[in-house]
Amino acid sequence: MNEAVKATNIRSAEPILEIENLSISFFTKRGEIPAVMDFSCTVMPGEAMGIVGESGCGKSTVSLGIMRDLSNVGKIVGGRIKFQGKDMGDMTEEELRSVRGNKIAMIYQEPMASLNPAMKIGRQLMEVPLIHDKVSKEEAYNRALAMLKSVRLPDPPRMMNSYPHQLSGGQQQRIVIAMALLSKPALLLLDEPTTALDVTVEAGIVQLVKGLGREFGTSMIFVSHNLGLILETCDKITVMYSGEAVETGNIRDVFDRMRHPYTQGLFRSIPLPGADKNSRPLVAIPGQLPLPHERPKGCNFGPRCHHFVEGVCNAAEIPMIEVAGNPGHFSRCVRFNEIDWAAMPATAAKDVKEPVKAGKPMLKIDDLKKYYKVAANEIFGGAEPRTVKANETISFEARESETVAIVGESGCGKSTLAKILLGLETASGGNVTLGNRSIGDTAIEKRDVETISSIQMVFQNPFDTLNPSHSVGSQIIRTLEKFGIGKTVAERRERMLELLDLVKLPRAFEKRMPRQLSGGQKQRIGVARAFAGMAKVVVADEPVSALDVSVQAAVTELLMDIQRENKTTMLFISHDLSVVRYIADRVVVMYLGYIVEQGTTDQIFSPPYHPYTEALLSAIPIADTSVVKKHIVLEGDIPSAMNPPTGCPFQTRCRWKKFVPGNKCETQVPPIRNLGGGHQSLCWLDDEQLATMEPVIKVGGVDISQAEPHDEVPEGGRRRGKGPGFKGAAPKRPDGKLATPEAGQLAEDFEEGEARARARRHEAGDALSEPGGAAFYDASNAAIPVGRDQVGDGRQAVDPDVMPAGGNEPAPRGAGKGAAPSAKLVSSSRTGGLAGRSAVKSRSSQEAVAKHRGAGVAPARAAAPKPAPAGAKAKPAAKAAIPPAEKGRPAGIAKPRKPDDLKLISGVGPKIEAILNGLGIYTYAQIASWKKAERAWVDGYLRFSGRIEREDWVRQAKALAKGGVEEYVRVFGRKPR
Amino acid sequence: MNIEYVGASQIILGALGRFWPVWLSLVIVMGASFHYRKRLGLYGDLYTSGVGIAGVAICLFWTFTAIFSPVIAPFDPLTQIPVMKDVLPGAIVPDGAAGAGGVYLFGGDKLARDVFSRMVAGSQIVLIIAPFATAFALMVGITLGLPAGYYGGRIDSILSFLANLVLAFPVILLFYLLVTPEIRQLSFDNWFSNLTGIGFSIPRTLAAVFFLFPIIFFSVLFYTRFKTRPERLYPLLAATILIGGWVYLGLVFNADPLRVIAIEPSTLNIFVAVVFASSPGVFRIVRGLVMDIKTRDYVAASQTRGETPWYIMLWEILPNARGPLIVDACLRIGYTTILLGTLGYFGLGLAPESPDWGTAIKDASRLLRSAIHPALPPTFALMSFVLGLNLLADALREQALKD
Repeated sequence: MNEAVKATNIRSAEPILEIENLSISFFTKRGEIPAVMDFSCTVMPGEAMGIVGESGCGKSTVSLGIMRDLSNVGKIVGGRIKFQGKDMGDMTEEELRSVRGNKIAMIYQEPMASLNPAMKIGRQLMEVPLIHDKVSKEEAYNRALAMLKSVRLPDPPRMMNSYPHQLSGGQQQRIVIAMALLSKPALLLLDEPTTALDVTVEAGIVQLVKGLGREFGTSMIFVSHNLGLILETCDKITVMYSGEAVETGNIRDVFDRMRHPYTQGLFRSIPLPGADKNSRPLVAIPGQLPLPHERPKGCNFGPRCHHFVEGVCNAAEIPMIEVAGNPGHFSRCVRFNEIDWAAMPATAAKDVKEPVKAGKPMLKIDDLKKYYKVAANEIFGGAEPRTVKANETISFEARESETVAIVGESGCGKSTLAKILLGLETASGGNVTLGNRSIGDTAIEKRDVETISSIQMVFQNPFDTLNPSHSVGSQIIRTLEKFGIGKTVAERRERMLELLDLVKLPRAFEKRMPRQLSGGQKQRIGVARAFAGMAKVVVADEPVSALDVSVQAAVTELLMDIQRENKTTMLFISHDLSVVRYIADRVVVMYLGYIVEQGTTDQIFSPPYHPYTEALLSAIPIADTSVVKKHIVLEGDIPSAMNPPTGCPFQTRCRWKKFVPGNKCETQVPPIRNLGGGHQSLCWLDDEQLATMEPVIKVGGVDISQAEPHDEVPEGGRRRGKGPGFKGAAPKRPDGKLATPEAGQLAEDFEEGEARARARRHEAGDALSEPGGAAFYDASNAAIPVGRDQVGDGRQAVDPDVMPAGGNEPAPRGAGKGAAPSAKLVSSSRTGGLAGRSAVKSRSSQEAVAKHRGAGVAPARAAAPKPAPAGAKAKPAAKAAIPPAEKGRPAGIAKPRKPDDLKLISGVGPKIEAILNGLGIYTYAQIASWKKAERAWVDGYLRFSGRIEREDWVRQAKALAKGGVEEYVRVFGRKPR
Repeated sequence: MNIEYVGASQIILGALGRFWPVWLSLVIVMGASFHYRKRLGLYGDLYTSGVGIAGVAICLFWTFTAIFSPVIAPFDPLTQIPVMKDVLPGAIVPDGAAGAGGVYLFGGDKLARDVFSRMVAGSQIVLIIAPFATAFALMVGITLGLPAGYYGGRIDSILSFLANLVLAFPVILLFYLLVTPEIRQLSFDNWFSNLTGIGFSIPRTLAAVFFLFPIIFFSVLFYTRFKTRPERLYPLLAATILIGGWVYLGLVFNADPLRVIAIEPSTLNIFVAVVFASSPGVFRIVRGLVMDIKTRDYVAASQTRGETPWYIMLWEILPNARGPLIVDACLRIGYTTILLGTLGYFGLGLAPESPDWGTAIKDASRLLRSAIHPALPPTFALMSFVLGLNLLADALREQALKD
């Protein structure tokens, strides 16, 4: 971001990575296939850049290109990649090798594939320091052990001694991250690092990744298809489409004020809070990604764009165009100034659909049990067979036209349940009644045609759901044949064509082979097949989770339309609660074979929760900047069904366990508690404790539609408080404690211009409200708890628009004037005439100011950037206001006659020097004497997350204190600046 | 008597010239295939790579050689012209002898037969036995491998155990056992033999079992697919049973009523031995593939619409296992060719005067010190054919991976 700032203010900070007009092509027999075209981005130290896009858009190619690991068919055909100022194109193979894995590390999607299964974790980890740093074995072991601790793995020595297959997926991914960090890379490339993991495990990894930049000063490039994840982890974002970056900028700019139709389309097609299947359905992007050799002229997105204008959009190749008044925000759209960003596309359904009325019960499941026996050896017998309890006392019912979602992570037994319903397995106990027939213990071979055709399934993986060897038409016809529909081949063919119409596919697809179809089209065929026999119940097993975002919406809508028309009961199996909230009428949450909670969607998404539901809710990444989420990270992994915990299935990970007296959680399975209105929960917690639960997800307190009347972002996500469970209440903020970090940050930003606020959303969950959650805050946070839990509006402080106003005006302002300076700053930024930009920002900063005024906190440190005398005056006030922050504060002295030039320490500029002087710090000796507590304090005070380690300052200061410049040169081998 | 020789260039030109029908057919077939390669599916894809073209060319070369061998071979492979004993390549048959004026292009062997003609004629034997034996082994392996992989459990354990038993047995020893006269003549005559006069031996019993598999395979294949459509089912079933039964009678009992299909007892031996030895290999490949493919959603989809297990195995799973199976079949024809060579070398199975490559190499090897030339042509023939098959398998694998 902040090109403007870079241009005016800073020369000091070198970007870690600069990509200029990178183009990568693959050379195959069919000729050159351009995979990435004209891709540019800059990553500053400590910054996280997110690359988002659908499959095939070239995002992974970019990350491989940075590593220069493009196999033998890929080649960089244009542009440059500069790493730490050095052109990687000029590096020899040898130099590249020393950069890879040492300065640039990569983390891939499949953790198991990145670990050597034949080597113990310890040896694999030790290899890194042994090879790159040539240290002794002992030292390597210690470093590996320390790193395992810092990625928060339990029992590191045991981990060191185990093989990869003995660990769970989440643990493996942590090991991979540890391995990448061991070489202290300057840049970390993460290619969909959590895609293969469960949501609650993902949440843990995301927490870890988020802290990396802060803890290790590592820059990151985070490649993902999940906008929510990017929002949680990154500072900047680049949206890619068909090999090109189409939009890039600050996370908040792109999320709240996107200026490319594709980006907007993406946001409209994901179920954000506020989307509603009846009144506010998802809007899919029409068409599909063009093949690399069939890209259109001009804008690649043109054929799918609502705003396409002949002769403008397809006239010539479109460059990245900077969004006026919004530096650092670029869009590859020639018309973004003409487009009405609030308008809904014409194709979107305008009419509000009637909510469906649930009819009579269709499917009743009563006390269903499924146990598997695992035998040791078939021929020779052997050890005693063991029992796996896949389903335990499952009871719920689904009514006509109703959508019941079954939610849970892998291994919770939801697929087993589906198998029993479809007759692929038979129940070990209990009843399943479909209509009036009992089907629980009838295997599929014994079911009659009517039963079979009335309960059907839509499968998860589009690439697997159709047999690649048969044509699309013949597969549907075969289904009709089995269901006894149509007497002759011609009749069945006619019906098959009707089904193709139903799922909105051209009739010509009849003759196509599945490999000629895209994922979304295949999934439509899967839907057609499921509805071929007029199914009464359709089990949809994550039908869209494997599809690209832009296609997901279309398939979801189609599925719901057909369901609505046929009054079908749908069982929607998913782990993604945002889709569930959008689509389902009722929700069943499963964990380890048990139903832990069930009720209507409203009941499930608002408190009281079951502790597991609460954790699941907090784990979903939501791509909405206005959402406030409580962060609950579950410890550990799902226990094995072979060896389930005693008592409550969730007790091993439950953070509420300690509120239940008498150790009941660990000894007895809880009773099913009726919470009224059909809301059931399997938990020992009593009403009192349940009543204390707070909503996990809240949609932000401010209504942007008021703040930005000219820029109403239309999709559901921007409408507050529409969806069930997302309360429109204002986010809880640590009132009155805002001024400090903001002002400090402000000051520093003037200095450096690109320090990033790390937390980019309101995170209401602080250490206090998270009794069981892992304390993910490091020492520096502990020192200033408020500072870390910064409110999202804090981002305004980084706003480039504000900067020139303050930055050009380093003159001391009256210190200790209470709130005035910061208010003045803000107003000056507004009067600074940066039009139309800072509506949100200035408003929120005013709000912030107002708040700390109201709270009566003397914002002493808002004034802190200003010179010394003020510092002395302001101190007492600050002390009174924020006592804990004073712990570890370095001792100040009166200004000596000849203060040292602190600017000699790299990382300290004139501004920071002024701040330090304000603290009474004038000499190298003072800095040299800082201990950890002081460093952490200064860290927090400067709000200078991760960019430069204060430890390093201390080392520099020590050298300078000892022997001045000469000593410095001797120690560091370079001149102080 | 003095024997005259032609020069080296004339030998080469002569040999190449003798193959003219092969060249002609090669040009026609490969030219047409290359031209229409886009429409020929997997076979057409072979023409996109050099390896594929080379593989196809070599395999087609030997196929056409086998087909046109009577035209190509200048002499009868069994005819001896006494003066030509151990002559060097390029010897001209002197006047007075039968076939005077002809040239022993690659010389004569110790029984004064034309090496070139024997090599050409030998291709016929190899190219009939190897592919057919492989085809039967595939049928047996697939028919047993499908249920083993699909059902798993006890069926799998038992079948796999049997397959492991066969695989664990030393192959050469197995062949010795199967083709030694003593075992061959062990009689299992029963009421059926008394009635029909057909004797039962181990090879014939095995043949009776193995050759039943293709009939079962195709019957089940058609039955499962067209169960609901009798108008298609009955003709197909009838055709399968008629043709299958006819071939079965001819091959196993040598009792073809039309006297078209007949097989030498010694060839039948070889056939059975090869099928017996290679079907466990196919079994294991099929079983592994099925275990993988049966976890796919489309298999679950067909289960949920109430398909029978055999339909799923034959129509949902097997078509998707075809890639690796085709590759394996190619390699297996190569192995079988080598196996035939080995058997011939040990003097097992085929008649001692048979021109097949293995026997020819064995004959020549006895006198390798005095005359090396009779050993080379069959060796090169064997090598090039197997090489061609391997190249073909490589190219097929490449293409299969692309899908």
